[in-house]
Amino acid sequence: MTPAKTNRRRRLDLAKVPEATAQGIDERFQVATPLRRVFNKVFPDHWSFMLGEIALYSFITLLLTGTFLALFFDPSMAETTYDGSYAPLRGIEMSKAYETSLNISFDVRGGLIMRQMHHWAALLFMAAIVIHMFRIFFTGAFRKPRELNWIIGLSLFWLGLTEGFAGYSLPDDALSGTGLRIADAIVLSIPLVGSWVATSLFGGEFPATEILPRLYILHVFLVPGIILALIVVHIGLVVKQKHTQWPGPGRTNHNVVGIRMFPGFAAKGGGFFMIVFGVIALLGGLLQINPIWLFGPYKTAVVSAGSQPDWYVMFLDGSTRLMPAWDIHIPLGDGYTIPAIFWPTLVLPGLLTVLPMLYPFIEARLRRDKQAHHLLQRPRDVPARTALGAMAIGFYLVLVLSGANDVIAEAFDISLNATTWAGRIGILLVPPIAYYLTYRICLGLQQHDREVLVHGVETGIIRRLPDGRFMEVHQPLAPADAHGHGALDYAGAPVPKKMNRLGAIAPAVRGFFFPIEKPATPALPPAATPVSPAVPPQQLEDAGTQQH
Amino acid sequence: MTTVHTHDADAGGGASGVENFDVNDASLNRFDLVREGARRDGVEIVHYAPRFPAPGTKAEKRVERSIALLLTLSGLLGFGFVAAYIWWPFHYEAGANPSKLYTPLLGLGLGGSLFLLGAAIILWAKKLLPDEIAVQDRHDGASPRDEQALTGATMLNLVDETGIRRRPLLKAAFLLPAGALGLAAVAPLVGALIKNPNSPEPILLNTGWNPKNNNGNKVRLTREDGTPIRPEDVSVGGQMTVFPGIPHGATNVWADSPVLLIQLREADAQRLRGSIALAMANDPESRPVEGMWGNFVAYSKICTHAGCPASLYEQQTNRLLCPCHQSQFLITDQAKPIFGPATRRLPMLPLELEDGLFVAKSDFLEAIGPAYWERP
Amino acid sequence: MTAPPERRKRSPLRRPAGPPGKLRRRIGTTARLLAALIVVGGLYTAFSPGMQATADDEVVLSPAAAEGKQLFETSCISCHGRNAQGVPDRGPSLIGVGSAAVEFQVGTGRMPLTSQGAQAERKTPQFTLDQARQIGAYIQALGDGPELPLPGEDLGKGGDVAHGGELFRVNCSSCHAFGAGGGALSSGKSAPTLEESTDREIYAAMLTGPSSMPVFGDNQLTPDEKRDIIAYIQNLQTDPDPGGWGLGRVGPVPEGLAIFLIGMVAIVFTTLWIAGKS
Repeated sequence: MTPAKTNRRRRLDLAKVPEATAQGIDERFQVATPLRRVFNKVFPDHWSFMLGEIALYSFITLLLTGTFLALFFDPSMAETTYDGSYAPLRGIEMSKAYETSLNISFDVRGGLIMRQMHHWAALLFMAAIVIHMFRIFFTGAFRKPRELNWIIGLSLFWLGLTEGFAGYSLPDDALSGTGLRIADAIVLSIPLVGSWVATSLFGGEFPATEILPRLYILHVFLVPGIILALIVVHIGLVVKQKHTQWPGPGRTNHNVVGIRMFPGFAAKGGGFFMIVFGVIALLGGLLQINPIWLFGPYKTAVVSAGSQPDWYVMFLDGSTRLMPAWDIHIPLGDGYTIPAIFWPTLVLPGLLTVLPMLYPFIEARLRRDKQAHHLLQRPRDVPARTALGAMAIGFYLVLVLSGANDVIAEAFDISLNATTWAGRIGILLVPPIAYYLTYRICLGLQQHDREVLVHGVETGIIRRLPDGRFMEVHQPLAPADAHGHGALDYAGAPVPKKMNRLGAIAPAVRGFFFPIEKPATPALPPAATPVSPAVPPQQLEDAGTQQH
Repeated sequence: MTTVHTHDADAGGGASGVENFDVNDASLNRFDLVREGARRDGVEIVHYAPRFPAPGTKAEKRVERSIALLLTLSGLLGFGFVAAYIWWPFHYEAGANPSKLYTPLLGLGLGGSLFLLGAAIILWAKKLLPDEIAVQDRHDGASPRDEQALTGATMLNLVDETGIRRRPLLKAAFLLPAGALGLAAVAPLVGALIKNPNSPEPILLNTGWNPKNNNGNKVRLTREDGTPIRPEDVSVGGQMTVFPGIPHGATNVWADSPVLLIQLREADAQRLRGSIALAMANDPESRPVEGMWGNFVAYSKICTHAGCPASLYEQQTNRLLCPCHQSQFLITDQAKPIFGPATRRLPMLPLELEDGLFVAKSDFLEAIGPAYWERP
Repeated sequence: MTAPPERRKRSPLRRPAGPPGKLRRRIGTTARLLAALIVVGGLYTAFSPGMQATADDEVVLSPAAAEGKQLFETSCISCHGRNAQGVPDRGPSLIGVGSAAVEFQVGTGRMPLTSQGAQAERKTPQFTLDQARQIGAYIQALGDGPELPLPGEDLGKGGDVAHGGELFRVNCSSCHAFGAGGGALSSGKSAPTLEESTDREIYAAMLTGPSSMPVFGDNQLTPDEKRDIIAYIQNLQTDPDPGGWGLGRVGPVPEGLAIFLIGMVAIVFTTLWIAGKS
């Protein structure tokens, strides 16, 4: 930070260039301290902390491929006659939007893989958001001080859904049009203003000619802009508040244990970006997605069996399918209607937005918890929350499956009407069952943890006592008292349950499919293996110290 | 791991590192500087060890070779991608031919290259970068009380400085432009977008079958290509999607007009006639339409639930299924919804024969398609 | 009047190549005989209208129809009754359904029915195509009905694929789906996949409207239009997917499964590797 003292002329010394550049930059921006801070920032290392990164990298891939597609796409709904290289559609009347989508697929070099990568990346983006959200929920990472980031994350899900729906609509194929037609019906169902909002959005009676250009500007500018801004805030808050961590030795509510941003964390992150990008490219090249040329151009009289939205909208399609035929008629004046479709497509998403957003505050209120939490909770340790989450997942899965019920009926040869009824009954039964089972499982796991802490790890060694009884020898995790019971308290971290976790016997053979190296020799020769019976304990007072 | 505990003692110490640390001390190595820098950032590097304490071992060489191999393969695949991108035929061609491999090849090249590069970088990070555990302080909680008080005073002073509390006239006057500009911000968006669904005519009630769209003449039923339809064109137990015989009648301009024309079997037609007659006599509220011609009947193809084309006609059971949400309508009972989320019958288009060709006697007698608030 | 050697090429997985030479010749013979029968039958009907309905036993049966009668009486008579007049609650009368319906129902194995269900399902045929046509000739002789155009197996040859596609999307895809993979109908019924359907089966189905399917008579879809539709379906059957593996061309459902079961699983395994101990 001291300014350069020397001012004398000298010849260009290549070795000194980096230093001189750095010096020059710091003189102007004074970055030495903040830059080092960034380099030294510590991140905890756990596989489940990388789920959000998948969404981020998918989003970057979406921006890259989307920019390519925008160079060749025209969202116009003007009619034209196709004359590209896909023979089965040649001479067919279609919109410019559909024509240019076909051209991207068949006549732009590398266009098809870009389209497919864009679509797969969108599916992955939403999938990663949902999985990441589950992780946050089940580990309690949404608690104070991170409520705002939880709300931003939920907003990102709904924005992603909107963005995805707009993208799904743009190619103007038969599936897009069908989706838009349903969107029109949903907007129409809004009480009081539905018909006004629908005609205003579409610029006339469905489909008119305005909707695609409008969705296009939403899809390429407005919504991604908001998503990008929210992602920046989302990550900015993670940096500012520092990442949560799992409880463990040395990890407290007041520190972060992990590796520094550079080089380790950045290298892993960069490599992971390449992996996610690579998986998207492999999917985009090897698995065909959204073959719009088979759907044909959108014509109002045309529809295909098995018309579905993309998976992230499917739960709303499912709720619409399950909804019983209950219109509400208001006998005032000429009579007014609240259509049945209003509840599963507008009220339900409204509830699914507001309730989860309020959840952190509700939970804190119920638990009278005003503390800041930086240590994660194991799902088993908060059975009520975990069970609630399982209940929500059960509810969601029934809706998703119902959104695919015609495909399921066809694939498994079940009556279509039966699948609808299964969904209607399932939506009432599955969530409470999921709640109950999860709650019991959590309690069972908790109990086992306590049991191991008290009695020690099962060694698999059976001993016959002098009086003829048989008993299994347990390895206490800590010096045991006169009854052979350990004195360790549960600390919220995983409890070792196998001998090799204690380093007492050889670790399991490493390698996923085949051993990648010779198993290490046990830390102690077999004769001295610190295995001791729970009773009598006095032989190996120091046995449990190995792992500390 | 054992050293982690010792660190906690000075973790609260904040940004300052070792006292009197001399950056220019020649006896310090570079890592000492790194450690001191980290300390000043509140980061204690508590464990730091090379992966391979003795350089040049077999194990280390093996890792190096694996990484080099991954990088080489990644590079080759990347070049493969570029080569395929440029030279492989990419225009669509019918049948099994090399062009069908274009996209898979690009995917393998690009995806494989990226994936292997990622794997190489991660392997490098995992196997060659030093093993480290660092602990950073988390400065959580609120700012110090003093800071809060100072900032609060500054903010409140802002209000005082404007004197808005003492000057009610300005306060009131300020509301005027604020409100006006707020409205001005909304006006262009709402004003330009807004479209009255009932003016100049109620567009949701008018379909292509209305004679006024055909110079007052009754509108013919036509195929997609515009040819009119005779009764003998549809077989018994057959169905045909028909469109109004007006300009653009079969295009999305008249998205509300597609109709399914069905010729029922004699017994089914009897059943439908009976259903209509019964409704006429007992339940005029349900607005039955006497619109059959012979055994022919025409229903709007636009589902009354969400607007998809309800067009999966099962000629034996006379059910019409909508593929979007599985609503089922019974044709022989005036297209009554018998399953699924739809609540209303499909509107019937009254049929007539003119010069041996089908025409619509009138427009639909009620609004087609999904329901909405003020739907009559 | 040639035999059917010119079946279009299909992937070997779908269906074994055309019948062996001997069989082919026999089909050829049958076809010729059938054609002769139609000419004779047509003349006969023209000159003596109303004869058939009254005097079943006096119908002059061609050799093929006579063979068909034999087969009918061993396998079909229990449900469809003597002279195919139908048995209440068991099987409908077949008089007037035509040879196309018989060739479709028997040729795809739907008939003879093994059990009563929501609808007859495609299964391994009990009769050879020859035999199916013989029965068809017999039923046709009992009462005129829709017939398949003779001869030939490739009924889509020279069809306009683009026009066929347009017609397919308006008339067929609502039930059989855009990829012709079939779809569910109400209460356990379904529209079958057209993946393994031959041209003649498709033609016969359009002509006769089997099971839930509506009839698409020649006035509604002219033979030329049917040819176009068949040409489009042939194109669907034979044209490999340009974008990689087609996931069964079912739409967003398998795509959603793939992103979780393939994409997510692969990436989560990588996270386990990245964060695992080194």
